[in-house]
Amino acid sequence: MKRCASVVGVFLLVVFVAFVAPGPALAACQLGVPVVKVGAQGAASGAHADYGRQINMGASMAVEEINAKGGILGCKVELKFMDEELKPATAVKNTRYLVTEWGAHYLVGVDSSGSSMAIGPVLPELKRPYFFTHAATHRLTEELVAEKGIKEIVRVSVPVYQDGILAALIFKDMPDIKRWANIGADYEYGYTSWNLFKETLKKYRPDVEFVAAAWAPFHTLDFSAHISAVMAAKPDAIFSTPWAGEAVMLLRQAQIQGVFDQIKLWWQAMGGSVDVLEGIAPAVIGDKFKGKLWATARYIHNWPDSAENKAFVERFQKRWSRLPNYSAETTYSAVMIGKAAIEKAKSLDSAKIVDALKGMQINTPAGLRVFRAEDHQFVYNVPAGRVVMDPKYPIPVLGELRVMPVKDYYRWPPFTPVAATK
Amino acid sequence: METLAFQGVVGLSMAMYLWLISAGLTIIFGVLGVINFAHGSLFMLGAYLAFTFYGLLGWNFWLAILLSLAGTAVVGWAMERFFLRYLYGVDEAYQLLLTFGFILILDDAVKMIWGGVFRIPDIPAFLEGHWSVFGRPFPVYNAFIIAAGIVVGIVLWLGFERTWWGRTVRATASDREMANAIGVNVPRVFSGVFMLGAMLAALGGALGTPVRVVSPGLGAAMIIQAFVITVIGGLGNLKGAFVGSLIVGVLSAYGTLLFPVFELALIYLIMAVVLLVRPQGLFAR
Repeated sequence: MKRCASVVGVFLLVVFVAFVAPGPALAACQLGVPVVKVGAQGAASGAHADYGRQINMGASMAVEEINAKGGILGCKVELKFMDEELKPATAVKNTRYLVTEWGAHYLVGVDSSGSSMAIGPVLPELKRPYFFTHAATHRLTEELVAEKGIKEIVRVSVPVYQDGILAALIFKDMPDIKRWANIGADYEYGYTSWNLFKETLKKYRPDVEFVAAAWAPFHTLDFSAHISAVMAAKPDAIFSTPWAGEAVMLLRQAQIQGVFDQIKLWWQAMGGSVDVLEGIAPAVIGDKFKGKLWATARYIHNWPDSAENKAFVERFQKRWSRLPNYSAETTYSAVMIGKAAIEKAKSLDSAKIVDALKGMQINTPAGLRVFRAEDHQFVYNVPAGRVVMDPKYPIPVLGELRVMPVKDYYRWPPFTPVAATK
Repeated sequence: METLAFQGVVGLSMAMYLWLISAGLTIIFGVLGVINFAHGSLFMLGAYLAFTFYGLLGWNFWLAILLSLAGTAVVGWAMERFFLRYLYGVDEAYQLLLTFGFILILDDAVKMIWGGVFRIPDIPAFLEGHWSVFGRPFPVYNAFIIAAGIVVGIVLWLGFERTWWGRTVRATASDREMANAIGVNVPRVFSGVFMLGAMLAALGGALGTPVRVVSPGLGAAMIIQAFVITVIGGLGNLKGAFVGSLIVGVLSAYGTLLFPVFELALIYLIMAVVLLVRPQGLFAR
């Protein structure tokens, strides 16, 4: 009798695993493949490792939600995440592996601008759409898509327009800030952000001077010399682009050099990123930055004030016990955009998926994203603000939000070249 | 002028971290004849341990540093006793391969053990704030690092020059067979020296805890700089490591101020010039 019971138990278990557990995904896949595969990559090592983790968390959550609702046209979705190590060669190797060996149907992610510029040119040969979700150089879309016509490139996250132009449009209205200095990330992203900032600000404020620039490469541990070098020029404000753990370190080291007693404002471009806000929380609570720290991001969890965004943040917190960083939101939305495009195209063919994006306007947690056909950039709005504490959240948030219309701070075709050098 | 002087002092504080890590690297090479590629990973391990005790558990700053040194010394001892010891007789390439393997192992180990998001813990209250140096605010913490580096330098010099242990080590370094013949326990000296080197690396990592973020992959980044410094100073030469650290630390600070566009190439340029003019390094015999 006992034995019989255990046989029945095993039988029931097999039935459960085989037929019940996959749930709605039982419907036959209409795309003629066993599963739809999504390849993702991001930085998963070094001081920037949280971005890769957030890319993975955002993509995983999207895939889980899609599968729970029956997949894409009845096909189950599978995800594989890889570490790009912020190295272009690794990123290209990963992309090739994901497509040719693993069999990805579309790709999402990549943190470094350098990596994105290396991946772009190999995509036509691989014939897979790539939805970029963090890499920010304007050249990815303006040059590789609009100028060179690489159709497989699509960008879901806002590029350096956010870091450079938006900042200039906000700070042009602060007449007592006349001397700007730059502590820049020593690669393409840092150069283009600073160049766009200078170019835009100069148009509105001929009286402004750019007094110093210091450049810090990836894996810089000590910014003391960069800080003292630009402070020697007595700037009113600092424009700063190192990101992730490096931003946290830079701000701590600036704070102990007494920088916040000497300047009026510090712009930490991607300081609105959740990992940075978590890292500087004690300093913000202790008012170490004296309210002078301003930042933005490619999405912030406290904006827009919509039901969709609130529900996303809530689900994300429940799933991962953290607030979503922008790379989580952009990657989540990228996976969803890929789904919408495949459903419209009713095909996994790269050209048909990209075609299906034309005219797409899609609601995402960050708000309405509108596809721009000329350069395959999704246009949406993210505000900037002062880094403040809010009793509703355990970590600092961006407050006093400045929302600029996208028509003002995005660049629009036809594009004029912007230097991507120091 | 004051700008230059201030930048020099900032460079000095950066040089001291470099000194702590390259001191251990050069001592281990001088005595054991091993280039320990995993030395940077010991630096990283020291930083992680200090972060755990001071940052996560909130223990006393000094205690956290001591525990970090002790923990890293144990790991260093195990590396020497159970692995490196079997490779002294064979080609150096094997030692490089082995220590390179340790970089990968330690990187993945810290990812598994700590892999989360890091905060930088608060600076201990007595080291907060800044002093006026050449009319500009200079962090007390950086001054503390400079003092710590100099104290370590003096202790090492006294230890090697004035103590029985130091004489034994120097004897072993210059001729290990002869030292063995006159009754020195060479394997024990090797273990002791490797642990000392590991502790110096850990100290460099641990002292950065309140101002730096530790992350996996740090070891590989650090070892390159430390290696450049020991090559400039002369492999195996302690004085050379000190002067090499000062050169690299201070000149890269000046590079940031004066030639921001090609600052990165500067230390390699220095190394190239030293290798051309004095291939054995500045201080090698």
